[in-house]
Formats: sequence, structure tokens, C-alpha cells
Amino acid sequence: MLDEIKMSEGLREYLDKMPDLDLDLLLEAYRRPLPTSFRVNTLKMNEYEVLEMLEEKGVSFKKIPWARYGYVVEDEPFDLGKTVEHMLGLIYIQAPISMVPVEVLDPKPGERVLDLCAAPGSKSTQIAQLLDGLGVLVANDISFERVKALASNLQRFGVLNVIITLMDGRKFPRFARECFDKVLVDAPCSSLGIVSKNWGIARSWSPEIAKRLSKLQRQLIVAGFDCLKPGGELVYATCTLTVEENEMVVQHLLERRENAVLEDIDVPSLRYRCGIIEWDGTRFDEELRKTIRIMPYDNWAEGFYVARILKEGDS
Amino acid sequence: MKLLSPRERKFIENRLRSIYGVEAGFDGFVLIKCGRRRIRAATKETLELASRLRGVQQIGLYVMKVANGAISLSVEGSQLLDGEIKNNIIELDEEQVERWMKAIPIKIERACRGRYVVGKFGRLYLGSARVSRNGLLYPQIPKWRRIP
Repeated sequence: MLDEIKMSEGLREYLDKMPDLDLDLLLEAYRRPLPTSFRVNTLKMNEYEVLEMLEEKGVSFKKIPWARYGYVVEDEPFDLGKTVEHMLGLIYIQAPISMVPVEVLDPKPGERVLDLCAAPGSKSTQIAQLLDGLGVLVANDISFERVKALASNLQRFGVLNVIITLMDGRKFPRFARECFDKVLVDAPCSSLGIVSKNWGIARSWSPEIAKRLSKLQRQLIVAGFDCLKPGGELVYATCTLTVEENEMVVQHLLERRENAVLEDIDVPSLRYRCGIIEWDGTRFDEELRKTIRIMPYDNWAEGFYVARILKEGDS
Repeated sequence: MKLLSPRERKFIENRLRSIYGVEAGFDGFVLIKCGRRRIRAATKETLELASRLRGVQQIGLYVMKVANGAISLSVEGSQLLDGEIKNNIIELDEEQVERWMKAIPIKIERACRGRYVVGKFGRLYLGSARVSRNGLLYPQIPKWRRIP
């Protein structure tokens, strides 16, 4: 069974070096399909009315404890993505761990929030839901094709207080410096946390890919941080496992911006571990223990890395 | 993208009143023209922030299309007017909703006034459909959100 998933030699060597990682469990998680889960869109309808509609159709589900309005499907008699409820925007299909970064960001009504790498819009719609029509969401992406999907999803979700921009996120501080209360940098990554969606990721992974992405991620996190108002908060997230794309990116920000301070993360009922502080003979800032790593086998869902950073100063 | 002039806004409000019986159409929101016929709604604060940014593709929500004086409401446009639409509402049953979301024409018995009606299922509004002379409704559901 284990050789069903073909891993590149580079990935196997890399994972062997990783502390606190169970390779057999990881392969087992990669083999399992991700659970179907969704959020109820409370911008359009009362949560319980929507759940009742789904129950009447024979869909059974249970609450995701770490995500407001999030549910994981237990019995799906048909494809939820082809239902009236989905097409009307009453529900949004989103993987369960992917809901964690926005829960950590915790946007409040009235705030100005920037989602720097927003497409296709799962997290943007989640932010919009928590803003509840008050404040403004700026959803940005660099790709025209992906912005089209982002626009469709925000339309279906019924978001009024949104601006969609098409831009290289690294250039955002040029005209939006210290403009936002909250920033989400859900950076493009090598996707080792979602191999169960596409086994090809494990086959084609190489250390060079992680290094190349790490450079981009470092620029994006600094740009996102510069867009924050003093007193604002940034959440950095990826769906991958490599240290180069996670802890080393956050370490880079801490070295470049002295008013960047890591904050504790507490997500009830979610299983995770703290960030790595030593890798390849290099010791990082102890504060990186405050960041969290979610392995795919921790919750039998996706793998993610999440860091929450405060910009010190008077708001 | 351009803000509607007071005259254009007045025109839209009058049309919404006469076609759908809406008294306070999109009060509290700014209305923005995009292209010749499409109109989007947003909050004032959203528009203000957009004026500071670069690379803006879209602001707010697409709510309606104006064609030769008639108004076709998008799904979200009709939902935003929830409770205010009084005329030209067609109540649909579950089977008709499926057809509506597949953009399949629906035959109705009653006569309709005007070129567009709004579909409703329970408490949910489903946007506009164009009424043909032979009494068929053509739901204006964009391709990307039709049930396959």
C-alpha cells in the first residue's frame, strides 16, 4: 500500500530529517480523501434554516468545533457542489483546516481587512462573513484567471463591502501602507499539506521548489506587514510542511521589522503542534514556538502552518 | 466604473418602483455603473477606500442590469431587496427552482406585467427571469452558477 503514493527522492530525504513527524501516518493521511465540509453563509440566511434545508435533503453533518458556521459532512447522498443551496450561496464548500487561518485572524465588524493572496476566495468569503457587512475587505490576487473565480465566489456569497484588486501583492504597500487593521497572507506554497487532493505534488516536489517559493513568501509577508496599521494583526498561513516556507519566512519578518511580535494561538479542539525552532544547524527565535503546525494526520484533514503577528504601536 | 449620477439613480428608483413595487431601492448603498448596462452596489466606505487603491477590478456586488428601461435583478440584487419587492413575484415550487437554477424555461399560467419577474422560493429570492410573449419565463442565471 505504501508505494501507491510516489514520493520524489528529495521529499523522502527531507521528511526523514523533520523532527516530530511520523512518515507512516503522513502517508496514511495522504491516501485518505479529504472530508467534505462547508460553511453556512449567515450573510444570506439564518444558520439553522440552511441546516434544516440540507437535513431535509438527507445530508447529515456535524459541527466543526474550531470554525464558526463550519460543518463536516458525514453522509453526502449527492454532490453538495451541485445543489441549489451551493449555487445560491447559502453554503460555501471549504476544507475544514482551511477555515483555521481566518478564525485565528478573527476579523471584527467595522475593520479594514486585506487578503493579499485571495483567489479562489474561500478565506475571503469567510472574512466577509465575520465582518458582517461592516468595514471593508480588500481581496487581491496576482492572476487574472484566478481573480475571475474570486469574483464569482464573492458574488455568490453576497459580499457588498469588498474591493477586488489584481496586483502583485509585493507592491501593495506602495499605496496602502498602514491602511489595514488585519492582513491575511495565505501564501502560495508547495502544498505538502494537501497531497491527498493531488498525489502528483509529492512526486514532483523538490527542495528547489521550496526555496524558490520561500523567497516569494518572504517578500509577501513583509509587504503584508507594511500594509498593517500600528496595533494591527497579520496572519501568515500555508498549506505546506517545509521549514523554508514556514518558520524561516516568519523569522525573516522578525529580523526585518523590529515591531513585529509573535502572538499565541489557541484553537480549541484542534490538534496541532508548536513551530520548529531549530533546523539544519540553524537556531531560530524562541518565539517561533508560538506558531502552529497542523499535520495532515493530526485531524485526518489538510496540513497547515499558521502564525499570528502583531504590529506593535499605538493604533 | 463610475458612480451613478443623481438623475440616473432617480431613474433606477422609479423603474424599481413601477416594475417591482420597491419603495426604497438600495437606500444606504452607493450604486456604480460598470459597462453600459450593469450596476453594482457597495457601501460608501468601500467606495472611499477603492479610490485610494490601484489595480481595482470590481467593487461590491452586481445587483442589476438595465435594458431599454426594464430592470433585471441578479440573484443577490433581489436578495438585497428582500421584503421590499411587492410586484411581479413568481412563487416557485421545488421542481421549478431546480429548473430555474438550470436556466431552463418555465411555463406559467398567470399573466405577467412587464418584461421581467422575480422568482421566489419560500423566503428566498432567485433573481429575475425574462417573460416571453408565449408565457415562458427565461431565468437570468449566469452560466457559471447554473446547476449542471
